[in-house]
Amino acid sequence: MCGPGAAVPGSNVHTSTRGAFMNHPQLPLGLALRDSARFASFFPGPNAEAVRCLQLAAVGEGETLVFLSGDTGLGKTHLLQAACHEAARREHAAAYLPLNELKSLSPELFDEMEAMQLLCIDDVDAIAGLPEWEAGLFHLFNRTRESGSRLLITGSGHVDRLGIKLPDLVSRLGWGVTYTLKPIDNDSVHMALMHRARSRGLELPEETAAFLLKRIPRDLPSVFTLLDRLDEASMVEQRRLTIPFVKAVLDEIC
Amino acid sequence: MSLWQKCLVRLENELPEQQFNTWIRPLHAVEAADSLQLLAPNQFVLDWVKKHHFNTISRTLHDLGQNVTPRIQLDIGSTNKTPATGVITPGNRVPERPVPGQYKSNLNGDFTFETFVGGKSNQLARAASIQVGENPGGAYNPLFIYGGVGLGKTHLMHAVGNLILEHKPDARVIYLHSERFVADMVKALQHNAINEFQRFYRTVDALLIDDIQFFAGKERSQEEFFHTFNALLEGQQQVILTCDRYPKEVTGLEERLKSRFGWGLTAAIEPAELETRVAILMSKAAQSNTELPDDVAFFIAKHIQSNIRELEGALRRVMASARFTGRPIDLEFTREALRDLLALQDKLVTTENIQKVVAEYYKIRVSDLLSPRRSRTITRPRQIAMSLGKELTSHSLPEIGNAFGGRDHTTVLHACRKVAELRDSDARINEDYKNLLRTLTT
Repeated sequence: MCGPGAAVPGSNVHTSTRGAFMNHPQLPLGLALRDSARFASFFPGPNAEAVRCLQLAAVGEGETLVFLSGDTGLGKTHLLQAACHEAARREHAAAYLPLNELKSLSPELFDEMEAMQLLCIDDVDAIAGLPEWEAGLFHLFNRTRESGSRLLITGSGHVDRLGIKLPDLVSRLGWGVTYTLKPIDNDSVHMALMHRARSRGLELPEETAAFLLKRIPRDLPSVFTLLDRLDEASMVEQRRLTIPFVKAVLDEIC
Repeated sequence: MSLWQKCLVRLENELPEQQFNTWIRPLHAVEAADSLQLLAPNQFVLDWVKKHHFNTISRTLHDLGQNVTPRIQLDIGSTNKTPATGVITPGNRVPERPVPGQYKSNLNGDFTFETFVGGKSNQLARAASIQVGENPGGAYNPLFIYGGVGLGKTHLMHAVGNLILEHKPDARVIYLHSERFVADMVKALQHNAINEFQRFYRTVDALLIDDIQFFAGKERSQEEFFHTFNALLEGQQQVILTCDRYPKEVTGLEERLKSRFGWGLTAAIEPAELETRVAILMSKAAQSNTELPDDVAFFIAKHIQSNIRELEGALRRVMASARFTGRPIDLEFTREALRDLLALQDKLVTTENIQKVVAEYYKIRVSDLLSPRRSRTITRPRQIAMSLGKELTSHSLPEIGNAFGGRDHTTVLHACRKVAELRDSDARINEDYKNLLRTLTT
């Protein structure tokens, strides 16, 4: 079995996939190694309604507050980054705030952020129990009500279950539309793999995909990380993704 | 494509996407022939960009500008010069000089008495608020509204402001959250504009400050607010305050402020009862031109009891799902749309959980609740726990009886009736019941 990849779709926790595979050290030209987090590269599966809601909110339509919950690896980060990109395409000011990474800094980061038309706040659980951050987010929330900014917020579960101590903040998080991202089933993982391969111009025969899914964990981060590696290996080796070739790559990296 | 736009395309490809979206995307560029001003939303972002990304930006611009690098200047600012509501307070006009007479209310026009759903839980606060709206600066000054989160305090406050404006359109009614008052004061101090700050807040006709519990521990702000408050009351200008608890219970607030808050009228808002929650849902749905069947409103209201914001959140989700799927809103559809939300609630409220919480509340043991003992100190909590079980879970009467030491369903029925009767006749029991309900549903 392959170990699951470290990167969730679209995250920037880059596992270095640049390097030599097998016997030929020739590097590809750094093309298409990163799947940008876009709505088009997200396989909606059972989450089509949530995705549509985010797409609209990103460009200033529909809901003004969306809370997206769900387990790690379902694509919350991907969707928020896609929303930022979409907003920027319409020249809407947008910011992405991953609280898990930013909590070591200062809640002053929230100052005047209500000037953004779209604020994407990832991993709100990260600041649960940190009074200054909780109050900072609560105040930012109130200011966005006046400025009219849209807020897209993610967390691991229902707002009541995040461990946030400030009840004022909890009640505000529950004010908007809440969606829980659902994991996708096996057939959908297959479809997602084909979808991702197509979206990056990679020819992945059906039988190779079926072979792959028998050999690796069927969660999307693992599947997509592996696809990155296969893409690169196929470029380095100038080989098509046949079953023998994929098997050789898997043997090499697992 | 402008030079900055080209730079963005390049940086988007070079930097990790997350970093780009966090630090570079929020920058707003003002381009001139030989200079580029980059506006960061705040000092923190500015310092970070300066330290971590300035060289990359500079190099990229140099490459793109065919070796002619524009002068880059990093500042704080944004395109939105004024908030959408257009209120002009000393905080957002500093350091510019104030323009005499320039004023625009920042009240939310949707928060009126017409859209406020009255019920038993808010009738005193609502009646007092209407009085104040009709006669600002009169007997009820200050008006102090308190209650838990999401029960409608802010709505009432805006409704008073809107009513004052209806009677006197040129009245200067200022609504702000306590945090804004603090921030304005800090800015005024920084810019040596405290006199303007004082003049501004002391010359309004009505000052509405939300969530004053956030003044706790901020001594300088409390001092300033104390003087503002006195000046307004002396001038018979109306002050309305909201808080999450009774004034005396706010820790970190000066005694003299607490006592002054009690000078006018203090009114509580309680969690809305089922019928009011249903009426709120119907009203919100009507405002969105959505037809909400009665059974659906009852279904949502029965399951979401914590506060009105969550109630609204659930309704929004149902309406959003109906729009997306094109299906009519009926009970089955609603159950489906709210499945995740309700699953969590059901998980939270179990008979075991109710027994545990009630036992803790009355300082008895869970085993007492399940035992055959019939002393008053045990019977009453047991009846309350059974009644809560009926209200909060979907268990049948026999199931509940069974969970309480194998009692008969008629015992449960009797308990529910008894508790309903006691809640009407005994304020303490009613208070206990509401506290338990709140603990179990929030």
